[in-house]
Amino acid sequence: MSLLAFVVRRLAGAAVLLVLLSAAVFAATAVLPGDAVSAVAGVDASEAQRAAVRAELGLDRPAAERYADWAAGAVRGDLGRGFVGERPVTDVLATRLPNSLLLAGLTLAVTAPLAVLLGLWTGLRGGGADRLVSTSAQILAAVPEFVLAALLVAVLAVWLEVLPRVSVIPLGGTPLDVPRALVLPVLTLSAVGLAVATRLLRVSVSDAAATPYCEAARLNGVRGVRLAVRHILPNAAGPAVQALTLTTGALVGSAVVVENVFDYPGIGRELQLAVAARDIPMVQGIATALVAVLLAVLLLGDICARLLGAGEGHRR
Amino acid sequence: MSRQIDRRAFLRRGAAGAVALAVGPGLLAACSTDEPRPDHKPGPGSSPRSGGTLRAAFVGGGASETLDFFNGPSALDLVRARAWHGTLGNLDPSGPDGVRYGVLEGIDISDDLSAYTLHVRPGVRFTDGSELTSADILHSLGALAARSKLPVYRLAAANFDLARAKADGDLKVVLPTLRPIADGRMILCQGNFLVVKDGTRNFRKGMPSCGPFRLTEFTAGQGAAFERYDDHYGHVPLLDGLELRSIADSTARAGALTSGEIDFAHDLSPVTARTLAGDAKVELVPTKSPYLVGLSFQMNMSVKPFDDPRVREAFKLAVDREAMVRTVFYGNAEVGNDLPSIGFPDYAESLPQRAHDPKRARELLREAGADGMKVRLTTGPETPGMVEMATLFVEDLKKVGVQASVRELPPGQLYADFPAYAALPLAGSYQMPIPALSIYQMNTAGGSPSAFGWKESATDALVAKARAESDRARAKKLGTQAQRTRWEKGNQVLPVFKPNLNAQATRVDGIQDDLFEQFPGFSRASLA
Repeated sequence: MSLLAFVVRRLAGAAVLLVLLSAAVFAATAVLPGDAVSAVAGVDASEAQRAAVRAELGLDRPAAERYADWAAGAVRGDLGRGFVGERPVTDVLATRLPNSLLLAGLTLAVTAPLAVLLGLWTGLRGGGADRLVSTSAQILAAVPEFVLAALLVAVLAVWLEVLPRVSVIPLGGTPLDVPRALVLPVLTLSAVGLAVATRLLRVSVSDAAATPYCEAARLNGVRGVRLAVRHILPNAAGPAVQALTLTTGALVGSAVVVENVFDYPGIGRELQLAVAARDIPMVQGIATALVAVLLAVLLLGDICARLLGAGEGHRR
Repeated sequence: MSRQIDRRAFLRRGAAGAVALAVGPGLLAACSTDEPRPDHKPGPGSSPRSGGTLRAAFVGGGASETLDFFNGPSALDLVRARAWHGTLGNLDPSGPDGVRYGVLEGIDISDDLSAYTLHVRPGVRFTDGSELTSADILHSLGALAARSKLPVYRLAAANFDLARAKADGDLKVVLPTLRPIADGRMILCQGNFLVVKDGTRNFRKGMPSCGPFRLTEFTAGQGAAFERYDDHYGHVPLLDGLELRSIADSTARAGALTSGEIDFAHDLSPVTARTLAGDAKVELVPTKSPYLVGLSFQMNMSVKPFDDPRVREAFKLAVDREAMVRTVFYGNAEVGNDLPSIGFPDYAESLPQRAHDPKRARELLREAGADGMKVRLTTGPETPGMVEMATLFVEDLKKVGVQASVRELPPGQLYADFPAYAALPLAGSYQMPIPALSIYQMNTAGGSPSAFGWKESATDALVAKARAESDRARAKKLGTQAQRTRWEKGNQVLPVFKPNLNAQATRVDGIQDDLFEQFPGFSRASLA
């Protein structure tokens, strides 16, 4: 199959998935206990007031009908307005998504090279170093993000006082105006990502090292960096890209937690606020956007893996 | 970051210059000795210094936040609006009417209590130079507040016919009541009734207003910046500027305060506040009565055995209130007497304090045939301390033989499904500081869902009568009588009132003089 056909097929698949997942999100918000009425009308509103608000927000219509309306708008790029504050969802996405992408990008920039190095090292060396790194990674992966964040804050912000405790960004500015404020969130996310990616990469590296081709190279006296760069990496690259892609996916979930801990103005914090307020259009819009980003990352990863895989002639 | 520090340092220098100019060469000489002053606070008798930019952090909204406080539900929305717009008035026990008026000169009440006349203070100017008139008040009350869905404005809408308010000339507004009430000044002048210019629909940066500060910057979900409005009526702020930041997490707010990124942190959790106790750079400034939040447990009288007054009394006697104040709030709270609104003039302070009497509670439960009863207390972390209180209450109940347990809901859940909440047998909840009788009439009278099965038309009538009584002594007597019934037979256990645990840098002063300290407007704050 040509690359183009592959991309087209995957794009179509992603589109179908996006529709299914957005419907699933809609269904999930519909079964959440309570609705936006309490958030909008106030906790102590009378039944009549609640009914009026429900009608005003269109919540008295069947869920399927509401979803159809929403989907029709979404296709035209109109994700509706939030119930709380009535701001267009696309506005909120435009102000917050770039901040989260920045966080994710920086995290990946830290994680990817480190994970490759550690993966190579542990996958090739085995023995004590492997056990140490693998066990550490396993422990790190098991620690919840907020615990890790709290530990980093305790050490770097409270004890050593070298970094700010929260990401207070100048009004009208972007996180890039205060690079120091990015360090703790990126560090937390990187630690989580690194733990996951290293373990996945270690497996691909040791698989690659076990191929007859690498075995032959080793028997011919190829060792160390040369073996890693010339023979192992090309073989492990495909699975490695896929591992990093998966890590990126996992980062989306971690970002929601980390953004809340550091009060970082990203899309994850918005999602949390919107869920708490039962702001359905906002939840729906943000969740769908996140799903779209995720699908794009997966697709990109697959394309990269395929491109890299095309060059793995030695193995076949 | 360095840019911020530079600007801060610059502002501080500017402030020092302003002070030097204001107090003259004497202080300049003192400054030149270069001696570090041990105490940066102005001593008694010295006037507060002017200048500087105060930075304060609150719980705010997200990127969907707007400048329209009539629809803004967060603490930050109201604080921002109080800095920006004019106020009808604030509660002030030392004032002749129990209030301190803002853009008004006074409020007259008609003899039959059917209409309030609001007298506009002449010469109040908006930032565009125009004068504030009755039309602006009418627009703010009738068009904006009347349509608001927020509880603060619903309290007014439940008492006044906002839509039928009328202007009487340029400086008078006549506001009809929905039923005769004598305590309406307390409702209109609680500090949250704000005034904007006639015709305002879209709230935006640069629109004219008449509060102590002028909005210069707003980023949804992050904060707002202000500069002093020099022609503000009455009292011109001492601060040059004000920066209000949105920081959702209590520990994060405290962290920003101790690291010097902000000067004032609003509403910390008891545990966070305690961690600040040893820090010499900051001080705790908890709100004072009446701005205390009541933490309560509602027993549902439509559910057995809470239909039996003996069971309800037993639950009230079982609570160890002192222990809750001590353990949950480290002493930084007040014991409650099962009635809301402590500190408001209409609160029945003459009732005896309910004792902690587990023995009597046990007897009452036995008499009612409810010993060994099973009950589940549902609550959530809606306000700091609520879950901890519930945990202690359940322990107290176990000691009198009730098989009690706690169900803690995740944040944002407790009130999300209101009908489900109102059907709970036992719920942990909280009450905002609102006058006692008006909140009864709005939330408890007539079998309202939030009354948890309390249906006592005689008490409803008594409250209505008390509020319709212009003789203060008689009103107080009737109101106390109504609250006594609630106290004796009611379905609310209210063991603790907690302050908003605010904290500030030691160089900050005067925030409490803004009166509505629960949501300060910073009009009288200063930086040393």
